This record gives sequence, C-alpha cells and structure tokens, in this order.
Amino acid sequence: MEKYKKFLKLFIYSAIFIFFIIISYRSAKPRYKPEHFTDIFNDFSWLGNWPKWLDFPLMQPLNSGFDWLIVKYGLFFEGINNFLLGLYSSMKNFLVGLPWPIVIALVIIITYFASGRKTNTTIMVAFCTFFLGFLSPRYWDKCIMTTCIVLIGMLMCIVIGIPIGIAMARNKKVRNALLPILDLMQTIPSFCYLIPGILLFGLGAVPAIIAIFVYAVPPLIRLTDLGIRLVDKEVIEASEAFGANRKQTLWGVQIPLALPNIMQGINQCTMMSLAMVVIASMIGTRGIGDEVLLGLQQLNVGMATEAGIAIVLLAIIFDRITQSYGEKIQERTQPKKKI
Amino acid sequence: MKFLKKLFLSIAFLAVTTFGTTSANAGCKVHLGDFDWDSANIHTAIAGYIIEKGYGCTVESTKGSTTPIMAALFDQQIDIITEVWRDNLVQLIEDNLAKGNIIELGVNTPSSTQGFYVDKPTADKYGLKHVNDMKSEKIAKLFADPEAPGKGRMTSCISGWTCYTINLVKHKVYGLDKYYTNFDPGSGGALDAAIAGGFKKGKPVFSYYWTPTGLMGKVDLVKLEEPKYDQACWDEMTKVVEDIKANGPDVYKDTCACEYVNMSLTKAASTKFANNAANKPIIDFIKNYSIPTADVNKSLAFYMDESGGDMEETAKNFLSSNSMWESWVPSDVASKVKASL
Repeated sequence: MEKYKKFLKLFIYSAIFIFFIIISYRSAKPRYKPEHFTDIFNDFSWLGNWPKWLDFPLMQPLNSGFDWLIVKYGLFFEGINNFLLGLYSSMKNFLVGLPWPIVIALVIIITYFASGRKTNTTIMVAFCTFFLGFLSPRYWDKCIMTTCIVLIGMLMCIVIGIPIGIAMARNKKVRNALLPILDLMQTIPSFCYLIPGILLFGLGAVPAIIAIFVYAVPPLIRLTDLGIRLVDKEVIEASEAFGANRKQTLWGVQIPLALPNIMQGINQCTMMSLAMVVIASMIGTRGIGDEVLLGLQQLNVGMATEAGIAIVLLAIIFDRITQSYGEKIQERTQPKKKI
Repeated sequence: MKFLKKLFLSIAFLAVTTFGTTSANAGCKVHLGDFDWDSANIHTAIAGYIIEKGYGCTVESTKGSTTPIMAALFDQQIDIITEVWRDNLVQLIEDNLAKGNIIELGVNTPSSTQGFYVDKPTADKYGLKHVNDMKSEKIAKLFADPEAPGKGRMTSCISGWTCYTINLVKHKVYGLDKYYTNFDPGSGGALDAAIAGGFKKGKPVFSYYWTPTGLMGKVDLVKLEEPKYDQACWDEMTKVVEDIKANGPDVYKDTCACEYVNMSLTKAASTKFANNAANKPIIDFIKNYSIPTADVNKSLAFYMDESGGDMEETAKNFLSSNSMWESWVPSDVASKVKASL
C-alpha cells in the first residue's frame, strides 16, 4: 500500500508539471513559438538559450488578481490604513510634542524599572538617547518617528508571532505548513511587498509597518518554536506527573524555560525591524532612514554615516531595554545567584 | 596519495583563476551611465545594443540617481550619458564644461515636459488650471497628507533628482508651501506606484511628473500652468537651487520662478573618453543619436505593455521597427546590428 501511495504522488506531480508546460506553451505569444508544434523536434535551436515559449504565465494573473484585490477590498485596506496611521500619528505627535529632556527622563525611568534597577544599563541607554539629538538636531524628531514605526511593528510581531510560534511547536502539521511561508517571507525581496503596500495603503508609515512585520516576524516565530521544542522532555513529564494540564504546562513550564530563546527572537526581531527602516525610506517613510537615503543620493558620505550611527544607537537602546527586561524575568525562574 | 590529490587540485585552481583573468577581452570598452527612470533606461539599452553588436565593444552600464551618476561623469569614471536633463543642471554643466571635464554631444530628444499635474476628474470638477488655483484650504483638503494634518500632499521628485530642490524653491516662491508638503516618495518606483495607486482607487492625485514616460500615456493628468518661462528668471532660480543643494534648505533666498521650459535632452561624454582617438567612431555615433519624443513615448509604451519589463527586448523592437538609426552608423555596423536582431 505504501509503494502504491509513492507512485500515486509521483504520478500527480509529473501530471502537474506537464500541465504547467502545456499552459506556458499555449499562452506564449505567436512570435515566440515555432511555426508548427512538431518543429520543436526537428529544429533544436531552442536548446541553446532558454526558449521564450517555456515561460510560465505568472505575471499577468498576479497583476489582474492584485487589481481585483484593490478594487474589491479597498475599504478593508482603508480601515487597516486608518487604524495603523492613527496609532502612529498619536504616538508620534505625543512624543514630538514633549520637550526633549522629558523624553530622555522617560527613557531613563523605563530602563531603570524594566531592567530591575540596574544602573549601568540605565546610564548607557540614557547616554545613547542623548547622543541621538547630539549627533544632529534634525535627528531627534526623525528618531522619534522611526521609534514609533518600529515599536508598532514590533508590537504586531510579538502579538501575532509568539502565539504562532507556540502553535508551531505543539502541532507538527502546522509547523510543516508554516515553514515554507516563513522562508518566503524572509527571502522575497522587500520591494516585492513594498510596492503592493504603496498601491494598497499609499506612501508613508503604514506600508513600512507592514514591511517590518513581514521581514521581522519569521525569526521571532522560529526561535519561539525552537525554544519551546527544546524544553527537556523529562521536565515536561515531571510537570505532568505533578498533575498539570496542557495549559498549565505551557504557561508554567514551557514558556519560562523557553524564555532565553524567545528573548533572542525578540532581539532579532528588533534588529531586522531597524534594518528595514532604510529600505522603507525608499517608499517615502519619514524617519532616520530618510537621512541615510538622502546622504546616498546626494553623495554625502558623512551624512549617510552619521545617520547610520544614529540607527545603531537606536538599535542599542531597544536591545538593552528588551534584553535587560528578559534577564529580569529569567532571574525569577533561573536565578544566577545561589541562595 | 592525499598529498598528490591536494597538489593537483590547488594547481588546477590557480591555473583556472590566472587563465580566467588573462583571457579578458582586450578590445574597446564603453562605460555608459544610466539613470533610475525609464526614458534614460531605453536610450542606454538602444545605444548599448548598437555599440555591443555593431562595434563589438564590451558595454558596461551603471545605474543610479542624477547626483552620483553626474558626479561620476565629471570624475571621468563614466564615459557616456545618453540623456541629460540639461536645463535642470545648467549651472553644473556649464561649470564642468569650463573646467574641461566633459564635452557635449548635441541633442537627443528635442522636446520634453515637466510640471505639476492634477488628475483630470478633479481638475475638471474644481476648475484647476493654474498653480494659483491650488492655493486654497478647500482644495488642499482634497489631497490631504495623512502625515501632515491640515496640509495637502504634492508627490514630488526624489531627493537625488535636481527637480526636488527646484520644486522646493517653486513651492516657496508660488506660496504653495503653506498649503502643501513637497513630498519625497523615496524612489522612482514609489512615485509611479503612488500615482497609479491613486488612479486605481479613484483618489485625487497632485504630483510632479514629466514626459517622455510610460505612465503618462496610461493615466489622465492635466498640467497646471505656471508663470511663463523666462531665461533670466530660470538662471537666477537655478543659482539658488545649486546653493540649497550644497548648503541645505536654510540658505533659501527669495527668487523668481517660472515653468519648466520645454527642454531638449542632450548627451554628454567625459573628456578622457572623447580625447582617446580610438573612440572616435563611438563618439560620432552618439553625436548622430537622436530620437524624437513621439518615438520615445512609443518605445516606453511597448516596454510597459508588451515587453514584460524586458529592456533588451524593447531596444530590439525599436531597432527592428525603425530605420532612422541606420543613418547614425556606417553601413557595416548597421548590417552587423541587423544581423543580430
């Protein structure tokens, strides 16, 4: 019976393949095809350069499908656009309106309590924040804009990504279905989803947030999945022996033990979000990536490098705050100091 | 035995790398400069095809925005540029001509337009004909900028193009900066996508655009009138533009502004390439190279609709369906090019 299934699968795949070749031949333009079908077996010039009639017709259906999507679901995308834009605008206007010493004080307070009262981390983060405006006065407002975009993107990633990672770890079928999609999200060139983003949402912050989500969520999902799968089977058995049900095992044992990996995932998510910032500036998103692009297009190496340093400082700030918070949580379950 | 195998493999590797490099083509090389908009791409593709197949030279082309590519030309790193928007860069070109960095090779496309465009339905509905018609809160609300509440948005040029700074100055002089943001879309593709997206969703579009382009033939845009072109006015404006490009937007001085003139697009070559006597046939060819605007538009329409994004296909289509190019080259070159089509 097993051999039967194998042959059936092989047969179906080869049938699909031949079907593709037939479609591509029939939809090729007449000037690309030889005079008569049987000429292919007489004149072998098509073995030289890849023949133009062996071209799978993907572009046209994708274009018309996309047009249909814009027309039919226009209002739905408008809704997403307004929601995300409202979130972004309110956050940005609030922070830009605050006097800058208060913003630095806010960052200091957040770091101090998130890291569990660590002074070294707080001083470093405060210095980095101060240096953002110190590098160039223009950068202060722009860094706030970028921070808002990255924060909203990261929030989306964490809220959507971690549950998906947990689902992948618990269910093998979900895992097999999602892995190729994650591969696709990471390797597809960013402009492939940025340009449709512009057509759907318009130029500005919203396609950038969507792009950050698409680019930064796969490492988070993968590392969450890995972290939960790597929890020692014996520990889980022990928790079941103590009478924990699935939900209690998940929240009480698996997630706390997987926390190092999940924090690493959030760190990678942060880094990749900031990497997208410069690419997003190529679709009109205002922020510090703008300055890098400006320096690039106007051949101003100093400007581009300075803006690059500002992005690195932003990355350090985000990273230190999230990592120290993660360490604080892990202290509770895996204390480093012996009691 | 293992040692012999390693020895053989390393000798083979070294042999391949050294022979690979020494067997490079020692013939003529031409380095073309290409920009990030479609009309420049077409000229580079057609000229590159003729040079490669007709003259048998290796053609290398580098793509980029106006500022870096022009800088590379002035620095003698790029040999030929086939489409120069001369009047936008007139100060820069005159400076470098005087310094002997470049020579000009005549006119390529005799006419082009640039300006501020509004989509036809909105222009008809609100009677928008002149830039002064745009200066009203009610009209600015139509083109509302979601990131600058209270202002409208004019999608402008990207910061690497000179027209970004020209539009910035024009906004200030015409008084549009109170009502609109001079929005930098980040890349040429994003600008096209924003205009196309606006039309698809039936939203009002207010943007800078130009011809010859492929998009202009597909969407219905109405050009807004500006004060009539005046040479002295334009020169004064370009001085301020160059100042802002070098020193930032704070050095803006009050100046005059007028419409973009119907400018001819020219060609330029670096003096290093032009002074080399061996390159004279190529320089003569480029001097003769000239395509009228209507034919550029036709090729651009072919590129967008039928070639599926294949620039080489578009170049081949132009060469096979036109015979004007045969007079630009000697007959033996023409026959070689025709044979390869």
